[in-house]
Amino acid sequence: MSQAAAPIDFRTNAQHVPPKMPAAVQKATAKFLGSRAALVEALGNDLWQTLRQAGHDLRLHAITHLDHYLEQAERAVTKVGGHVHWARDAGEANRIVLEIARQHDVKKVVKSKSMATEEIGLNHAMEAAGIQVIETDLGEYIVQLLGVGPAHIVVPAFHLSKEEIADLFRKKLGVDAPAEAEKLTQVARTKLREEFLAADLGISGGNFLVAETGTIVTVTNEGNGRMCTTIPPVHVAIVGIDKVVPDWESLTVLLKVLARSATGQKITCYTQFISGPPGAEAETGPKELHLVLLDNGRSRILKSPECRETLLCIRCGACLNICPVFNSVGGYTYGYPISGPTGMMFASQILGAKAAGGLPFASTLCGACNDICPVQIPITDILLHLRHRVVEGDEQEKAVAPYALRMGAQAGSLALRTPWLYRLGSTMLKWLQTPLKRDGWLPRLPPPLNRWTMARPFPAFASDFRTWWRTRSREAKGRQ
Amino acid sequence: MDSAREEILGKVRASLGRGPGSPVAPVPPTTRVSPRAPASTDAEIALLFSEIEKLNGITRRLAGRDDLKTALAELVKAEAVKKATLWATPEFQALDVAGALKALGVELISPQADQRLVAECELGVTGVDVALPETGTLLLRSSPEKPRVVSLLPRVHLAILRRAALRADLHQAFSEVKQNGYCVLVTGPSRTADIELTLTLGVHGPKALYAWLLDEA
Repeated sequence: MSQAAAPIDFRTNAQHVPPKMPAAVQKATAKFLGSRAALVEALGNDLWQTLRQAGHDLRLHAITHLDHYLEQAERAVTKVGGHVHWARDAGEANRIVLEIARQHDVKKVVKSKSMATEEIGLNHAMEAAGIQVIETDLGEYIVQLLGVGPAHIVVPAFHLSKEEIADLFRKKLGVDAPAEAEKLTQVARTKLREEFLAADLGISGGNFLVAETGTIVTVTNEGNGRMCTTIPPVHVAIVGIDKVVPDWESLTVLLKVLARSATGQKITCYTQFISGPPGAEAETGPKELHLVLLDNGRSRILKSPECRETLLCIRCGACLNICPVFNSVGGYTYGYPISGPTGMMFASQILGAKAAGGLPFASTLCGACNDICPVQIPITDILLHLRHRVVEGDEQEKAVAPYALRMGAQAGSLALRTPWLYRLGSTMLKWLQTPLKRDGWLPRLPPPLNRWTMARPFPAFASDFRTWWRTRSREAKGRQ
Repeated sequence: MDSAREEILGKVRASLGRGPGSPVAPVPPTTRVSPRAPASTDAEIALLFSEIEKLNGITRRLAGRDDLKTALAELVKAEAVKKATLWATPEFQALDVAGALKALGVELISPQADQRLVAECELGVTGVDVALPETGTLLLRSSPEKPRVVSLLPRVHLAILRRAALRADLHQAFSEVKQNGYCVLVTGPSRTADIELTLTLGVHGPKALYAWLLDEA
């Protein structure tokens, strides 16, 4: 693990969610889900399921032949005049970008929204080297001014009111604008226009990397993605190795499901296809193109057949929008730039069980994420496997759960596997609970079980399974 | 740098149990998602325009060069255009778009000029390489005479399209353009909903998109 991250404590974070957060989150997610549902209905569910299946198969094919497609993409990008760099981890990726910046004497960088650069903490690394980095997606610009990360991967500032944003612009930009979305957007447009025209380097992510032609595909609405990759003289794209797809034909499926799942649009406003720098054509646009292929633990995720489908994700955010837990706590609670179900899967593997082992537990396993995922990632199966990894360890990581929890889990497993032990246990529990029982509930339990009863009473054991089953069978016979 | 490449590819191969020459299975077919069947050209144009209008674009049908001149005059007035930039394609030269704009008192800026000057233009005029009716999408390829900044920096983007640009769907469009160095799909004017989910047009790209169909007898 490259990052020595402080452990993410979801439970504690969840206790500090501001009361207005759930309402703001639910307003946004309801809107996205509503638009998405209308478009899926218009397509017809059969066609939608066919598209999801095709999307899943294409992404799975790509990541299970990843070495082949990465080499093909590298050859193609090089052929059209781009430079390809390989980064094993976050530190190496940041060093590569800094070195490119140093060669071009870069003072100012404009950036379009990219989860890969959030993942590697690129902004911090560049600012530490004295380079100014400006986020240009409106939502990212706002949260950057506020000094925080994105609260949602698609709409980063969705939890802020227009009054708060007007206040922020007054304090940070010295611009007095009325608290109206249109006026505030105009302020940002004017400010960022100057930055685009003055920047020495543009940084983008990539939604897809097409192996066939070495094409970087970006999907945006505002146009900042086009600005960052068109106006500055040098363009650096930082793309996770998992983003590669075989060919343009694959895009016909993936682009169809991406925008519909993300914002409930048929297609976003701008979809760009960048194959190499335009330099040789004497066209406008950057003279140099650098592609940084980022591993940062992805090749390790690939190793586990149970978990590798984590990498199918196309970062649409639909699983965040549908998740009952995300809707209650918002993005920051996850302690990682990518939040929600897909963020939990990804972060707990990238950061490791020690730092993010709590995340796979922040789910009710209701499975709504599985059903909505446009590339059919079995999210809850993966979360279950990751829970197993945390508690018992697997071929990739040692168990990190507290000793008592591990012993408890093992004892439980033993009791459920051994009939006489199960019988003994269920009889004993009925006796043991007697002094604590009040009206069929257990209002207080001794530590560590009191973590449950601090919040709500525990239902008393009414019967054991075998007795219940016998009674039930007798009653069923009686009815016949 | 090379060691990073070898290490990453090595790890990927080890994780997948593959070797450098391991066989590659065929790409799963996309054909099970049946390609879209195009309707008649008139129906396709009607669909394209209705989709563009849904996304706050402004459409117009022109019946020839005189119509184009009238429409340009109205646009220049409505959007208070003082400076404009445009593609230098043979088609635009034949239509003498530049001449028409000059006659309206509009100053023309070369797309290759300093980008600050191009950014000051109120109007950018482009053609359309491919139009996709289903989503109201215009595909613009870029080349030396079709610089990408023309559809990006000015406040208003005017796209002049011909019936010949119509394609049924992305399958057809992609097979034609995939070898191009750069292309962009434009669907409506630049938009955001980042502030309280309120739809706002013209964040960074053009605030207005005009799509005109030009038919010539």
